Amino acid sequence: MARLIRTEKEVEGRYEEVWLVVEEDVLEQWPAGAREIVGRPATRIDGLERARGEAVYTADLKLPGMLHTAVLRSPYAHARVARIDLAPALTMPGVHAAIGPGELDVLVEECGFHGAAIAAVCADTYAQARAALSRVEVDFEQLEVLIDPDEAVARGQLLGEPRVRERGDLDRGLAEADVVVMGEYTTQVVLHNSMETHQAVVQWLGDSLEVFISTQYIWGVRDEIASTLGLPGDKVRVVCNYMGGGFGSKNGADDYTFIAIELAKRTRRPVRCALTRREENLATGNRNATIQRLTIGARADGTLTALGGEYVNATGWGGWSSPVEGPMQMLYACENVKTTTWAAKINQPPMKAFRAPGFVEGTFGLESLLDVLAAKLDIDPLDLRRRNHAQHDGADGRPYSGKNLLECYRRAEPHWERRHEVRARSTGTVKRGVGMASQIWYGGGGPPSYAWVRVGSDGRAAVVTAMQDLGTGTRTAMAQIAAEELGIPLDHVTVSLGDSARGPFASISAGSSTTPSMGPAVRAAAADARRQIEEIAAQRGTPDAPLAEIVGLLEDAQILGKGGRGPNPTGMQVLTFGVQVAEVAVDIETGEVWVDRIAAVHDVGRVINPLGASSQIEGGIIQGIGHTLSEHRLHDPRTGQILTTSLDAYKLPTFADVPVIVSELIDEPDAQLTNLGSKGLGEPPIIPTAAAISNAIRDATGAEVHQLPISREEMLRALREAAAREKVGAPAGV
Amino acid sequence: MPLLRSGIVRAETLVDIRGVVPRGIDGASIGAGTTLAELECAPQIPDVLREACRLAASPQLRNMGSLGGNLLQSTRCWYWRLKWPCRLHGGDECFAHEGEHREHAIFENGFCASAHPSDVAAALVALDATLHTNRRELPVSDLYHLPRADDRRTTTLEPGELLLSVELPPAERSVYLKAMERKLWAFPLVGVAAARTGGVTRVALAGVAPVPFLLQGSLEDATPLPRNAYKVDVARALVKRALAALEEST
Repeated sequence: MARLIRTEKEVEGRYEEVWLVVEEDVLEQWPAGAREIVGRPATRIDGLERARGEAVYTADLKLPGMLHTAVLRSPYAHARVARIDLAPALTMPGVHAAIGPGELDVLVEECGFHGAAIAAVCADTYAQARAALSRVEVDFEQLEVLIDPDEAVARGQLLGEPRVRERGDLDRGLAEADVVVMGEYTTQVVLHNSMETHQAVVQWLGDSLEVFISTQYIWGVRDEIASTLGLPGDKVRVVCNYMGGGFGSKNGADDYTFIAIELAKRTRRPVRCALTRREENLATGNRNATIQRLTIGARADGTLTALGGEYVNATGWGGWSSPVEGPMQMLYACENVKTTTWAAKINQPPMKAFRAPGFVEGTFGLESLLDVLAAKLDIDPLDLRRRNHAQHDGADGRPYSGKNLLECYRRAEPHWERRHEVRARSTGTVKRGVGMASQIWYGGGGPPSYAWVRVGSDGRAAVVTAMQDLGTGTRTAMAQIAAEELGIPLDHVTVSLGDSARGPFASISAGSSTTPSMGPAVRAAAADARRQIEEIAAQRGTPDAPLAEIVGLLEDAQILGKGGRGPNPTGMQVLTFGVQVAEVAVDIETGEVWVDRIAAVHDVGRVINPLGASSQIEGGIIQGIGHTLSEHRLHDPRTGQILTTSLDAYKLPTFADVPVIVSELIDEPDAQLTNLGSKGLGEPPIIPTAAAISNAIRDATGAEVHQLPISREEMLRALREAAAREKVGAPAGV
Repeated sequence: MPLLRSGIVRAETLVDIRGVVPRGIDGASIGAGTTLAELECAPQIPDVLREACRLAASPQLRNMGSLGGNLLQSTRCWYWRLKWPCRLHGGDECFAHEGEHREHAIFENGFCASAHPSDVAAALVALDATLHTNRRELPVSDLYHLPRADDRRTTTLEPGELLLSVELPPAERSVYLKAMERKLWAFPLVGVAAARTGGVTRVALAGVAPVPFLLQGSLEDATPLPRNAYKVDVARALVKRALAALEEST
């Protein structure tokens, strides 16, 4: 039955206290280990549709009479629109409407970044809209540009107050330390660059609105649009059947959707607003740059006595301050920790959540400096991490609902042992080494989320829920859970999702929360259906009859099961853990870095689909390698204008950059967490990759990299610095 | 096509020249319409050119891209591509000088710091190849023109002039080495082409000057900008290795 509780809700490290109506979670977890269907590799149930091009993405949608939109964006990082005249655009062929600043909230007069939306034109074709856009007359008044995040902090130009998190006494901890290491680390701006660019197709049907959109959060978009337009929620139907990725950049409705809605209203036509790859590289969010000034104090035996961090998020003109200090706060047991995090408001495109926002950046700094400490203390890096293993949450003493990090370390040992053999393969110019880094992150999901399961007389089941499949294979995992609970084959289950008008509320697909939020609801709904079928079997006097035989009696009657996501365990930290071990080669003359092999061992509770899980790990690591070695959104240092606006300038990794990836999962259900014991795996695998690579570089060469990406320039700088250190007589390898 | 898409070039009509530009390898002569994919697989082509082709672009692009097209490609300088009013566009400033120049030139960069992106051009300069157009015959180096205040062209090709074929002198040994930002499908940060022809060794570099750069003096004469001195280090290592490779294979 439903129950009202007060609980803490967490999305990507941001907590809020909320009242929630939750369903009781009465099901016992399945025993650990692979079941008939759950825990066994399943190919995607929609794989063929996708591969054949039959799956309809927002990008494929063509509605009768649909108009196309082009958006005028600020060419300057900071400017005011002094005068704008849309009239010349309206005389161009095929044009139906044009809107500018003052006509819609998302179209601005003061542009705080290169790419801010100013005006939009819709026409019969996209080419006509573009041509018309070039006729819009705009005079800009250029304003002072501030792009240095440290300067923004010094001037107090911040987004919100600095975030101070403190426990114990940092100074005392430093006084107790035998060794103190300090380092400054910086990370760059990187972009999501999903395969499918941000886009929406909208149409008004009377006073109702249909929104087809590539989104990670159908219900969030529905509510955002409904509240902005003052419409009842159910007057807004949001549809996303298939989507080409989001990585955190598609959690909201954004400028393009509101532009399409307004233009559709004015023209009484369906309107598409699809951003180009160039707009994707300007104005659809990013992982912001960071500056991290870190201090670690430890006793001679490696026990951490002090952790201090001053973090600057170069947040951009908007957005929020990502939890870059999270790993320092959470990863290790330490009594004295103090972090301060500033969010610099600068004339750069606003950040958005990007696959473990903050933790990817923060883990690079913390875990890199931890290896500097290990070298100084002459302690094996893996031992040092074990020695500082946290038994409970450092900030408030809460127990973990489940934690198998020590088991991850144990499973990483054979990979870590390879370092001797790897180093031995070094040559005069190519040095090889192995590095490791730990991972901590959220991923427990939470209520509310609902699902329905419908079983017909053909013995087949349909799962119905208005969730989205971000491209991660959620459809398949949900089908596995329902099939397992009902005891029917996987191919007897269909999953109907992606439509707010055709199913109950479902979780956002962000914060590694889809499986842990939705999976228990689907299982509960399937169990509700199964219970009803068992009741019929009992009434018939054949309690052990197979499901197909019982439902075979139904004719047009249907079994309708419903289920909700139960609460998270109260008073517990629900987190994911892991470790990665990287093997690299460094050409010490050219600064080239090869990543040869990455072994990943993660603890995310019960694994629903091992095949889907290994894909997630591979995807995370590949994206992590891009972040570590080649991706870098560049801007002009004087004007703040963005320079890398296409995929030839912005270097995503290619398959040639992909190493051997060995993935292992502990696959131990979290006994405290829901009826599944499953956590999310979307984000954990990208978190430790950069640090593991930088530590491997250090192992190979003695060079300490302090910047992402590890470009040739940074690699050669670090090598020169290491050589100079060796010359003045510091111990080799420190 | 990318220049059309960026609005740097405008055209009412595109003319398909595949009917008049030769394609294929005939002894030492290569049709300008020959694709990079065809060259990278041809055993009679010198190593330096085959490797330059193999390390260029992606397999899909090499299946479409021609030798002539590769030689005539424009710089990847982001300021130029984004149509900033730079010196190459007739303006009075090189924005890379004070701006973001990590991929820019370390030689001949005083007027314009753009870097020439063609791997293949460096290979042909090292080979001292000869070009044939519909109007003249010229050493490949003469195709390129270092932009300066009074003449900002980057090639010497005249309107209506068409590159038809490339003639390769017989090289004894040759090699191409390339540093890029990822393992594939990137323009050279530094490309080093070295070839020994008739006992004479020539070294040419891609990605280090506004035109393919024939190394005649020392790498120590480079004039890097504040953030691209690393290119000198990379070039030094690759030139040393290229010369060693020429030695080894004797």
